[in-house]
Amino acid sequence: MGHVSRATAFVAEADRTTWHDQVLWFVRAKRDAAADSVPEWESLRDEAAGVKRDALSRLPALWREFETRATEAGAVVHWARDAAEHNRIVGQLLEHHGAQRVVKSKSMLTEECGLNPHLETKGIEVVDTDLGERIVQLRNEPPSHIIMPAIHLKRGEIGELFHAEMEAPEGLEDPDALTAIAREDLRARFLAADAGITGVNFAVAESGSFVVVTNEGNADLGTALPRLHIACVGLEKIVPRAQDLAPFLRLLARSATGQPISTYTSHFRGPRAAENDDGPTPEQHIVIVDNGRSRLLAEPAFREALACIRCGACLNTCPVYRRSGGHSYGTTVPGPIGSVLAPSRDPARHAELPHACSLCGSCSDICPVKVPLHHQLLTWRSHLAEGGHHARRRRLAFGLAARVLGDRALYGFATRAGRAIARRLPSRWLDALGGAWSRSRAMPPIPAKSFRDQLRVREEATPEERQP
Amino acid sequence: MNDANDAILGARDAAASTARDAILGALEAAAPPAPDAIPRVGAGEMPADPTGVLRERLDQNGGTLVEADGADWLACLGDAFDVGSFTNVYCAQGDMVAGSDLGSRGVGATALDVHALAPLDLCVLRAQFAVVENGAAWHVPASPLERAAALLAQHLIVLVDASALVPTLHDAYAGIDLGGTGFGWFLCGPSKTADIEQALVLGAHGPCSMRLVLTSS
Amino acid sequence: MSVALFVPCYVDQLRPRVGLAALDLVRAAGHAVEFLDEAVCCGQPCLTAGEDGRAAALGRRFGELATGFDTIVTPSGSCAATLRSHLPRWSPASAGTAERVVELTAFLESDGSLPPPRNGFPHRVGLHASCHALRELRQGSPSETREPPREDPAAALLRRIPDLALVDLTRRDECCGFGGVFSVEEEAVSSRMGRDRLADHRRGGADLIASTDVSCLLHLEGLARHDAHGGGSPTVLHVAEILAEAQLGAGWLDRHADETSIPLPSNRRVTDGAR
Repeated sequence: MGHVSRATAFVAEADRTTWHDQVLWFVRAKRDAAADSVPEWESLRDEAAGVKRDALSRLPALWREFETRATEAGAVVHWARDAAEHNRIVGQLLEHHGAQRVVKSKSMLTEECGLNPHLETKGIEVVDTDLGERIVQLRNEPPSHIIMPAIHLKRGEIGELFHAEMEAPEGLEDPDALTAIAREDLRARFLAADAGITGVNFAVAESGSFVVVTNEGNADLGTALPRLHIACVGLEKIVPRAQDLAPFLRLLARSATGQPISTYTSHFRGPRAAENDDGPTPEQHIVIVDNGRSRLLAEPAFREALACIRCGACLNTCPVYRRSGGHSYGTTVPGPIGSVLAPSRDPARHAELPHACSLCGSCSDICPVKVPLHHQLLTWRSHLAEGGHHARRRRLAFGLAARVLGDRALYGFATRAGRAIARRLPSRWLDALGGAWSRSRAMPPIPAKSFRDQLRVREEATPEERQP
Repeated sequence: MNDANDAILGARDAAASTARDAILGALEAAAPPAPDAIPRVGAGEMPADPTGVLRERLDQNGGTLVEADGADWLACLGDAFDVGSFTNVYCAQGDMVAGSDLGSRGVGATALDVHALAPLDLCVLRAQFAVVENGAAWHVPASPLERAAALLAQHLIVLVDASALVPTLHDAYAGIDLGGTGFGWFLCGPSKTADIEQALVLGAHGPCSMRLVLTSS
Repeated sequence: MSVALFVPCYVDQLRPRVGLAALDLVRAAGHAVEFLDEAVCCGQPCLTAGEDGRAAALGRRFGELATGFDTIVTPSGSCAATLRSHLPRWSPASAGTAERVVELTAFLESDGSLPPPRNGFPHRVGLHASCHALRELRQGSPSETREPPREDPAAALLRRIPDLALVDLTRRDECCGFGGVFSVEEEAVSSRMGRDRLADHRRGGADLIASTDVSCLLHLEGLARHDAHGGGSPTVLHVAEILAEAQLGAGWLDRHADETSIPLPSNRRVTDGAR
């Protein structure tokens, strides 16, 4: 079951596809309006892209500086080479602190590492507090979008879920009412939590600070109340100085949802202060995670993908994503950026993803940090072919086509013969030969004379017969 | 708890230095060449009508701008919002309205633990400055109680001096010392979500309303 | 200036009239044109399928054949984009040649030598933005960026034609879904994308769809004809064909039609002056 089969099933529900496509286009349109309101939009993109590429060229120095400053501020810094190590570190920290009830704000990194299932094996209850994440957590499914995890669900489906899981009255569909029910449930969980886990949008090397951005305030509630904060950050998320945050924070929310800025842009440095001496000394643990990022950095063709700030704009603008849904990709992060990142992690499993793309280029033009996504997707195709991940038959077919197209005489012969046969075939046979093309498209009619034939006729015509 | 931490630290030191070295080594080996100079966006320009833009941006965020003449901003809140009716109020500073009796009361006055602030009705903060391009106020909570109050209260009021407006985030960060700030945040409206069919709902987990009050001394 | 004409394989085989229109238009602009008969394919189908080595061989062959011309014109945004972007990589020696490859409407517009069109074309035309022409060649302003505006040469040329009305689309540059091999490998999504484009053009009142790329047009036409069970509306035409009709004598399209050519929709008076 790859993207093709899942996407085909998705598209088969035509009305639902229309709804999904329109909801996401609506978000794209809001982003467009936000970009219109910033005359220096392209300059911001240039600055943000420049800061990221500069940071990527000196990550070791930046992380060393970050570690020193964060430690000075009282944080404890951990390093995880891969998902398993990350999970082990987080699990052990929670166990040693006797944390049974944990709240977690949105972190694609922890999703990528499979943290929740790991913690569950230790009997630790972890509740995803972002409303969209909470919804998919209750449904036991992965998020379908990195910013709007439940965008694939209609209010009725969410209403049914809340009726089953949160004692909501049956048939309740109103978003305000449903959110109010979640508010009550989640506020109780924040207040009862032993620890809060967050992701990190940006780490700042010069101060050992990091920034976490939300609209709901769930990362803040999860870290202002419990006394243990574990922040998980990918290697690519660091910038040198506070001033460097400016272009990103001006682009991020506008690109994601069309808002000028997210509601809460929180800057953490060291553990929170304790309001009294009852209870443990507050602690902040920062887990720096590689999990394939240093490998991606080593690849000149794909390393720019590490500039990604996880805004989700490429998902919203992708005509394929809008019509196939996040679950069609089978990856933590779907859409264009996901299709660039996933094959680096597991080429065999994700070889199809770079082909789930018409190469339209909208993603690259919308990316706030100018990742050349569609060029990278194209490059992936030949990398995967050379790596043996393309079907042999397919490679042979293209080899044959290239042979014909590369030889003028052979091309002339093959096309003349082919046209002659095709024009004599019953259209049903032609459609059958057309394969997948003909499932929903008529085969193009085939003229008796090619352009070259017509040119020859012209040149052989007498001057009187020639028409301009 | 310190024993537990020592145990972690001890055990992790051995493994950690391996992981740390491995990661830094991999990053060093993979380091791409430094790019050309970064083209920087400079200081912003204050728009002709900063208050108008601020109002619009706050509105987009679900917040409300209140322009107060003089010190009595309470009077400018309008009849619909009756501060006097709230039992539990947290005021960041003692005398937030000259001559008024608005101050911390109920749990806002008695809470010794952040959790005790759960029933809070109203939290009143003073922000250092606000950013015109996005309606966000920069606030550095004076204490963990103040930070929790801002999140747990049903309603939030943020006071900003009308002369403390900056055009863009580029200007904002020029005036922020992150190295000297344990916790600081930009707040631009009530807690919100659009996770259900993109329908905007104000008051996801935190405050249901946020008023940014421009005060003038 | 020496001008060569490159007619891509699929235009040669399936829409020869487009090649003839390109040839005649460049001549009408006052240039002697040499058709590169030996140049069959730019390599794009192999490139997009991930067969870069095979694509490179085809591209290099093109590079050899096109050497020495000041300009190589082609009625295909995607072929022009492929050659300009990838030929320098496939053959550094051909980098100069690659730079001289130009898409037809860009050539005609910048060349500026075509006289003002004599004949009207009283139809409502939906101009489908070719993703390659728009985003690779930057012929026009993509809706995503906020760069200084650039005019689409195809639109500029069409706007000068009397009585031609360009329709407004709700999504002015969404991809049609062809995408090369994508059209068969992800057939379901590809077709859905194309149908949505057709619906947009229909909503805008287009009675024909034009583009600088025949591949987009064959995909859209194929869908329209399939859904209409052979009825087939709207009609599709390459921009070159419309230009030829307007520039080169009324009835040019009929005179150069072949048995597969679909007649134009019946002439309509354009009452709303949308251009």
